[in-house]
Order: sequence, then C-alpha cells, then structure tokens
Amino acid sequence: MTVASISFRGVTKRYAGAVVAVNHLDLEIYDKEFVVLLGPSGCGKSTTLNMIAGLEDITEGELRFDNVIVNAIPAHKRDVAMVFQSYALYPHKSVYENIAFGLRMRRVDRAEIDRRILDAASKLAISHLLQRRPSQLSGGQRQRVALGRAMVRQPAVFLMDEPLSNLDAALRISMRAEIKLLHTAMQTTFIYVTHDQAEALTLADRIVVMSDGVIQQIGSADEIYERPRNIFVASFLGNPQINYLHGTIDAVNGTPLFQCRELRIPLPPTAASYVGREVVLGIRPEDVSPHYDPPGVLSISGKVESVLPVGSDRFLGLRVEDRTIFVRVGKESHYREGERVTLGLTPERLHLFDAKTGVTLRGGGA
Amino acid sequence: MSAQARFSRTALLAISSILLLLYVLAPIAWLVSSSFQSEREIVSKPPHWLPQEPTIGNFAAIFTSHERSVTYETRRATDPASGGFVPSTAKNLLPSLRNSFIVACTVVVLNLLIGLPAGYAVAKIRFRGRQASIYAILATRVIPDIALVVPFFLFIRNLGLLDTLASLIVTYLAITVPFSVFILINYFESLPDELDKAARVDGCSRWQTMTKIFLPLVTPSIVAVILFAFLVSWNEFLLALMFTQTPQSQTLPIVIASFTSDFTISFSFINAAGVLAILPPVILALIFERYIVAGLTVGAVKG
Repeated sequence: MTVASISFRGVTKRYAGAVVAVNHLDLEIYDKEFVVLLGPSGCGKSTTLNMIAGLEDITEGELRFDNVIVNAIPAHKRDVAMVFQSYALYPHKSVYENIAFGLRMRRVDRAEIDRRILDAASKLAISHLLQRRPSQLSGGQRQRVALGRAMVRQPAVFLMDEPLSNLDAALRISMRAEIKLLHTAMQTTFIYVTHDQAEALTLADRIVVMSDGVIQQIGSADEIYERPRNIFVASFLGNPQINYLHGTIDAVNGTPLFQCRELRIPLPPTAASYVGREVVLGIRPEDVSPHYDPPGVLSISGKVESVLPVGSDRFLGLRVEDRTIFVRVGKESHYREGERVTLGLTPERLHLFDAKTGVTLRGGGA
Repeated sequence: MSAQARFSRTALLAISSILLLLYVLAPIAWLVSSSFQSEREIVSKPPHWLPQEPTIGNFAAIFTSHERSVTYETRRATDPASGGFVPSTAKNLLPSLRNSFIVACTVVVLNLLIGLPAGYAVAKIRFRGRQASIYAILATRVIPDIALVVPFFLFIRNLGLLDTLASLIVTYLAITVPFSVFILINYFESLPDELDKAARVDGCSRWQTMTKIFLPLVTPSIVAVILFAFLVSWNEFLLALMFTQTPQSQTLPIVIASFTSDFTISFSFINAAGVLAILPPVILALIFERYIVAGLTVGAVKG
C-alpha cells in the first residue's frame, strides 16, 4: 500500500476512564509533505502519530490513507515506518539484524535486504557498526540505526516520535539537518512529533500546533510564528517567550490606543473596531528597535532591570508598568541597569489578543 | 570505616553465612551421607557424618525392588539390622518417579504455553477488563490450597479423573498458572512499550511480536517459571494424596511417605529414595543457575 495522503476526519481518541487524548481532529496531510506535530507533553501529538501507525485504536471518526478508511487495519499491515524517542532497538539483535528485521518480516529477498542495508548504512555512516549490539553504541549511533531501520523499509509514510529528544544539544542540531536531507532524498511523507519549537520551525513544511488534544493552528513556520491564531500558539513559539501586556483599547482623536495603566501605545487604524475591549498586547522580544522614527509614534519605555548577554545577542529585562518584558537589542548596544529607555515598535509586528478568549484580533497588529 | 571495623564486619558476615549454610545444608548432608550407610551404621551412636562402611546397597535395592516380593513373612526372614530389606511398596518408587516427572514436565510446558501469551497480553495490550483480570489472577493466590481440596476432589471425581495423572496436572495448573502469569506480567512490563510498537510497525502481528521479539528477552522469567512450576509439581503432597490411589498415578512424595508406614521402617532405604527425589530439582537448578537470581528478583523489584 503506497500512500499519497493521510486525512483525519473528526478523529477522537478516548482512553478508558474517559480521558480524551485527541478531540475531534480534522487534518489533511499531503503526499511528500514534512508535517510536524508540535505541542507540550500530553497534548495528544504522540497519540495522533500512533493512530497513523495503527498502534492505537481510534475511538471515533475516520482515518483515511488515500481515501481508504484504515481504522481497522493493524499496524503490521500499514506501510509506515517509525522512529522512537528511546530508539527501541531490539537489544538481542545486531545492528544489521535490527535494520533487516522489518524487511525479513515482509519477505524481501536476501540480496535486496543486504543491498538496502549497506546503502543505508553508508548514508548514515554506520557501516562499521553493523555487527555490534545496540548496547555497544552511543546515543547518536543508536539514533542512526533507528533511522536506518526505518529508511530501508522505503515506507510510504515515515513517522518520528521525538527522535532527537534523547540526544545532547550539539548532536541534536546536526541530526536535525540530516533528517531534513533525508526527507529530500527519500521523497516520502514525513510526520514528526516534537515539543521543541526549534525543531518544528527548522524542519516543517507545515506545523500543526496542538494543545489538550485539539489543533490550535496549522500553517507554515512563518505563518505560525508571525500570525499566531491565539495566545497559546504565540506563547509556545519564540524563545524567549513573547511578552504580554494586559490593557484596554481606547480611542483618542479617532486613533486607537492600547492603554495599560500609564502606558499608551498607539495602534494602527485597523484596530479601531476593537475600541473598548479588554485585550492582551503581545510583543515578541525581537520586534523592538533601539531607534524609533518618527519619534513617539510607536514606542515603549521602561526602566532597564537587567542586561542579559547571550553571546550573539543581548536581551534587556525592561520594567514596563507592573511587569517585566524581555526585548532583544543589538550586541553593540550599551544599556545599563537602572537606565530609562524608549524603544521603537513596529506596528505590523504587534499581536493583539482578546483578553477573555485568547483569540487573535486581526488588524490589531499583525 | 576503620580497618578493624571492616574486619569485624567481614568476620561477622562470614560467620553468619557459615551458620546459615550449616543450618540449611546439614539435613541434606545427612540425607546424602546416610543413603550410603547400612541400617546398622545409621543408628550408631554417635552418628557417622561420613559413612565408615559406604554401601550402594540402598540404591541397588531401589533398582532391583521389582524383582522381589516383600510380604510380612519374607520380611521377617531378612536381617533388619543389616539393611538388606526394603519396604513392601518399594517397587512403586521407580514408576512414581516417572509419574512425577511426567506431571512436572507437563505442568511446566502448559504453564509456559498459558503464561507467556497471558503475561504479554496483560502487560502490553490495553484492553477492557485488564486491571480486573490482574486482580482476579492475584485473588486466586490468596486462597490456601487446603480450602480447595474438597471442591477439587468433587470436580476430579465428576470428571472421572480420579487416580489419573491428568487429575494432578489439572489441579497443579490451577495452583501454578496464576503465579507464573504474575511473574511474567512483571517481566514483560519491565520491557519498554516502544519495543512492542517498533516490532508491530516493522511488520509483526501481536503473536509474532511476542515470539520473535519478547521471547528472547524474557528468558530469565521463563527460567523462574520453569523452576517454580517444576518444584511445586514435584513436591506437591496434599492433592496427590487425595487424588491418587494406585501406583499407576502415585507420585514420588506419596510413595516415599508410604515407606514410613510400612511393617518396619528402613531409614537407609528412605534416605536413598530421598536422594533420588532431590536429584531432578538440583539438576534443573544447576542448568539454569545463571538465570535464577535474575529471574527470582524480577517480581521483587517491580510489581
């Protein structure tokens, strides 16, 4: 069974005890796409992946591969391969046998198995490890073996469940690049689960942000980052986190104004329809500039509480009204603690959310 | 810790170990030693821990007992003090050894055939009633065997299985399977769920996942189950006493016990039979020695 597209239609997964892991999921995944399911732990992303693999039953709704309902097809009859966070290598088998196992189960002939394994092993630089046991490998090597085991299957769908979470930081970044290359080389659908926003942003064609078993937003990395649909998505992406200021929208001479105690930030005219509402203003740390021109148009001032250099960058902890916001300033900047500063804001980069529902108010900024 | 304290600690441990070993091994040592002694030497005072006139006469008697018939009259003709006589039921010993062996091996095999799929299923498959079945399995272990004797007897009688090996196999399974399943569930649970998932994605059905991936990994617990089921079946006395009446189904413990209620008691012969009875478990333990510790501590660590 080769699969071109996967579609979830109203899929719900309920565990005994009425815990709802995935709630009425609608999702289309297209052929050869790299989709990342992103969310905090317990958001239902792994459950979603397991349902694609056939490892978990679907309580309600339909899962289709190419328009064929596959709800009842067991895992071993689906053409999917999976890489696990713990690698899940068979401890009693050599690396070669680990990689060969899936092919042997599918009765691929010996010569072909050998050819595919040697090919994958050389691509992953594990040719010299084929006779070892998993226990004799490092974490990174085990991860490569797990990738190899999935690669040789030449599956229609390639599933990965937090495959890099057990690796150290440096290795994680280099493996990330390799996985991206692998996707280009293999020309198959990749579905990747992670809670690491950096992985999602680098790898995905499309990101599916999930929380509490519900999809919060689907979109490209840029869409999700630049135009989050709600506070959850805005908070989940971005490091350091987006800053929030609670306030109301007033109008002064017809110009909408964000007001939070003494602080007033003029907003684009498009925000006029929200006058009187209680809102949350979101400012990403990088969306400020030390220069604002013309002065006074869109700016924010506060007292510098802390200066945090992080090598390539420098962040300021800025006391604005009753809270501290973190903003990124150039490495060359020379702010000092205790100093009062005014920084420029870009109107189209502000995010405005409804204070009650957390939903983005379009036209408020971005 | 100072050197002196360390020395006293080691010494204390060594002395305690030796005392414990003596306590455990002394009866076995006497059993083995006395099986090579004549009846006269056994009753000598003080006892001889090492036979002074070793004899294999007792063992020879076991293997030749079917050739002679022992009655009250022929018994009187022999000299009780020399050990040259055997109990009247002696000829049942070898058939009972065979019976015990058949029963124990069948129980072991069936324990594995039932226990492995059950252990895998309960540990790795989420199904309705899973928790309830674990409790049900454990609950059967709370009931003492003696409470089951009468119901078992009625069952066995109504099934027409009295005085057959099948009666023993069926009832021993009822006693051993729950605990075997319990050992296996714990061991399966200690292996990561992701292995199970990986195997299934790799193309294994549930059954193949169990046989191809998990079976090689649960060897220590399989050994624990083999030893447990074998020993329970091998040593069981109460149920065997109830259900078996003739040599065709009597097991070793029953026959050996019958020697003590004979015309005259021959300790040397009983002890030789005792040595024969402990040999199979000892051999089994030696074969699986390197797995025993791992297997028996499984339930202790997790569960």
